[in-house]
Amino acid sequence: MSDNNGQINSSNALELLLEEASLKGTYRMKRYPGKKFFGYFCSYFPEELIIAAGFEPLRLLPDSENSTPAELPGYCCSLAKGTLDMEIRKQYYDLIGIGFTHTCDTMQCLSGVWSACGQTKTVDIVPPVMLNAPGAFSYYLAETKNLMMTLSSLTQTAIKESSILEAIKLCAHTRSLVTEIDNLRSILPSPLVFSILRAGQLMPRVEYVKALEECLPDLKEMSSKNLHQVKILVSSAVLESDSLFAMIEELGGRVVADDTCTGYRHYSGNTVWGSVNPLTDIVQRYSEMPPCPCKNRSLNERIHHLTTLAKHRNAQGAIIIIRKFCEPHAWDAVSLAESLREKGIRTLTLELEGASVGGQERTRLQAFLEGLLESPDL
Amino acid sequence: MNEVREKQSNYRPLSSKKALQKTMGRYYALTNYHRYWGKIFRRPLAWVTSGAPVELLRAFNIHSAYPEQYAAIYSARNATVALCEVSEAAGYSQDLCSYARSNIGGVLRPDLAPLGGMPKPNLLVACNNICGTVLKWYEVLARHFKVPLLVLDTPFLPHEFTAQAKAYVLEQLISMANDLEKITGCPFDEKKLAAEMKRSREITSLWIETRQYCQNSPSPLNAPDLFINMAPIVVLRGSKAGIEYYRKLRDEVKQRAALAQGAIEDERIRLVWDNIAIWPQLFSFYKMFSEKGACFITDTYSGGWAVEHAPGTPMESLAATYTEIFLNRSPKYRANQLIKLIEDYKANGFVMHSNRSCKPYSLVQEVIRKEVMRETGVPGLMIEADMADPRAYAEEPVRNRVQAFLETFL
Amino acid sequence: MPNHYIGVDIGSLTVKVVLIDDDLKIIGQGKERAGYSGRTIAQKLIAEVLAKSGLTTQNVGATVATGYGRVTFSADREVSEITCQAKGISHLFPSARTVIDIGGQDSKVIKLFPNGKVADFTMNDKCAAGTGRFLEVMASALEVDWQEISELVSASKKPTKISSFCTVFAESEIISQVSAGELKADILAGVCDSVASRVASMSRRTGLEPDIVFTGGVAHNDGVVKALAKQLDFSLLISQEPVITAALGAALIAREIKK
Repeated sequence: MSDNNGQINSSNALELLLEEASLKGTYRMKRYPGKKFFGYFCSYFPEELIIAAGFEPLRLLPDSENSTPAELPGYCCSLAKGTLDMEIRKQYYDLIGIGFTHTCDTMQCLSGVWSACGQTKTVDIVPPVMLNAPGAFSYYLAETKNLMMTLSSLTQTAIKESSILEAIKLCAHTRSLVTEIDNLRSILPSPLVFSILRAGQLMPRVEYVKALEECLPDLKEMSSKNLHQVKILVSSAVLESDSLFAMIEELGGRVVADDTCTGYRHYSGNTVWGSVNPLTDIVQRYSEMPPCPCKNRSLNERIHHLTTLAKHRNAQGAIIIIRKFCEPHAWDAVSLAESLREKGIRTLTLELEGASVGGQERTRLQAFLEGLLESPDL
Repeated sequence: MNEVREKQSNYRPLSSKKALQKTMGRYYALTNYHRYWGKIFRRPLAWVTSGAPVELLRAFNIHSAYPEQYAAIYSARNATVALCEVSEAAGYSQDLCSYARSNIGGVLRPDLAPLGGMPKPNLLVACNNICGTVLKWYEVLARHFKVPLLVLDTPFLPHEFTAQAKAYVLEQLISMANDLEKITGCPFDEKKLAAEMKRSREITSLWIETRQYCQNSPSPLNAPDLFINMAPIVVLRGSKAGIEYYRKLRDEVKQRAALAQGAIEDERIRLVWDNIAIWPQLFSFYKMFSEKGACFITDTYSGGWAVEHAPGTPMESLAATYTEIFLNRSPKYRANQLIKLIEDYKANGFVMHSNRSCKPYSLVQEVIRKEVMRETGVPGLMIEADMADPRAYAEEPVRNRVQAFLETFL
Repeated sequence: MPNHYIGVDIGSLTVKVVLIDDDLKIIGQGKERAGYSGRTIAQKLIAEVLAKSGLTTQNVGATVATGYGRVTFSADREVSEITCQAKGISHLFPSARTVIDIGGQDSKVIKLFPNGKVADFTMNDKCAAGTGRFLEVMASALEVDWQEISELVSASKKPTKISSFCTVFAESEIISQVSAGELKADILAGVCDSVASRVASMSRRTGLEPDIVFTGGVAHNDGVVKALAKQLDFSLLISQEPVITAALGAALIAREIKK
């Protein structure tokens, strides 16, 4: 961590980021005793408002993929089961609240189940599903305003417009730094990049930005380019560990494009500011960011975005992850694989129970990458 | 003697069954021959979700067909496995909704589907008030058929129906009417919509009245009766044929109640059902209960169509009616709904079908079960199965649980 | 002179070793149940195979490992079973365009280019239905030896239907059928049909192109072979020793890397 003067040198900064990524928010009270954390699910929960309210956004990630809380049936994803189990084990008692975004059916249900059996206060925002529908923007704006009121009520102080503007700028700065790293993917080890991006959803924001700024120059130098590596696009829901990215790298692949909830998709899209009402800017960002499968901007926008991204980054192969029982991603996997193949990008669809990969996955990934290494042009 | 009686069916058949078959038979014939008359009468065919605002479509003379309804038929006719295998081979995960998988299977291989599959749609209309799955499913259909997809986004209601949600749904309905004007070439006529809504209200009130007779003891209807007789209110909402049918049914059920004729012999245990029917086991499953004197007197599933329309202008009423449905609401709301059913129908217990295919219905059931048991003091049983895919049904474990549950009433 | 090559396939149920010479001729092979430590068994088998041919490790130019235990086994290279299987099969059957492999833990369908390279592949999802493991669990529920399956199934006149897709559910379904008095042979035939239908469905994902070679431990089982051929509506080629084809592929790759 930082030394007495609050100065971080570059290797310490990188170490800090990797440490935070692997701790996933545990020990937060000990490491950041003065901070108040606010938990949230899904990248559609506007982190700007959490920060403006004076809290640190903490993305909730499960500490186990085998939890089976009695409140959820077996056919529910391990993200929902794992985090609910942590709530029941009182791992979140320090959180000011937990923010749920209506994205998939499971998240919608989890919010209700959580408030029925958990202790932590839950806060809901229901963004439109059809982001370009008539009336969607003003509805989203009203929902965002409601959310701001709810967050204000948690501290009993109104959130100032200047705080919102500051938070928007801080988030914009974060996103531009992360985008710089995203652009270095071809020369950086994939699990390293994935870790750095995850850390940003798990640690206090100002500290994160500082650490990123510190280590960015070194990262630019730290070329580990390998001409024989196969360029891969990965699309997935939440991945709470680097396991998959590490295995891809180990087997001769390099992730050059990352469309995962906890990866670059969380940061992608434009941040705008300067409107009379700063909430408008927030809504605009979330309405226009590259959509997750739960949202619709137009019929084929997501698929088009991903095939373009793959081409733009010269991806030779694509790996589509379906986390067991994650319906939105399982649905899109079929059309997405078809479109990628049409563009000449070989595609592997891989089902994972949690975020970690084992022997079964190794066989599939290895065979897939062997194929690409042997005859990359087919 | 007892032996002999056990072997006989202890089920009282409804004499309106013939009328039901005739009404539905006509609907299916009409639907499946749409290609011969649709163009002539300028009536496009829409595939719609069960929670879509069909009154608006009817106001544009659109004929609606329901993939969910067909999927239930595929299942009752044992075609689901073969159809699901087709869509699984096309890459759709086995964990996706079995209605959707079997429907897509039928699209890819109509030869394997009962009734020869569904007729090709001219447009698709989905409303996400029942689940997020319908959006993904209809996106797949829209890519396949290359026809317009209209979506009504009804925001999930963690609490009340907010002003902003009302305004949002209303604006979409108005825009949907505009789109339908373009698609059909007919101008939107609010009076026609009002007339459709009026007939729809009439059919709903008949269904409500019919169900209320089941508060009598013994109950004149059991769950399979409710599931079979809900077909017209789903597909013929707003039609004269539907109204005529429900009048017949209402009269018969009213008479049964007056004569104290129960749906099953020796009703001993009164139960409430929660979740979609187990279509592939419709009779064998419920028989495990009826042969022990347990009758399902009401349920939340077919009861979803027994809700009075909201007040307001036709468009406002549509917006509220379709957004406020129970599947679009919090577990707290649903627990209260179940508690009220148990009180109103003097039920001794309830059975929840934890339905692998339907996450919004099922993921919250355990917390609802606990709350309802705490509030009412009656026992609740959870059974894991699937509404359409028999491969997710384990007969022996289910039989054991049912038996143990029913023994608690001895 | 180090002019011999070893391929070792450490599977979830059995370990297979193939020894070839510079002319790609198989000069030795062995297989044994993997038991607790597949790695130890593999080392022992390699020593035995070499000894039988009067060779020592000095004569081995390269070793390639495949199968579940490949990662921890010290070899010159570890290669996935899919690539090895494709290599082995296209060596034995140059006309093969599709390989169906049902192993202990995995089943796979591999599509081959005319040059024998992998064009595409599909594998079973997380559950065990449609694998050798499924067959084994069901056979043991019926108290039937693995070796007896083929013979029993050939006696079946009316296979029962196993509808569950989950191994645990299917086991309880079988127990119900036993208590309902169904014949062992008929239930077993139903189990074979169920494995075949899972694999047939999987193979439709990659598409089938003849010639189709069926390999892996389950290819020994006549019941599944017949059921699969019927469901696919294609005849299947089966090598004389279907369990060693991946190990053979590994040995062939070992020879290539030494060149």
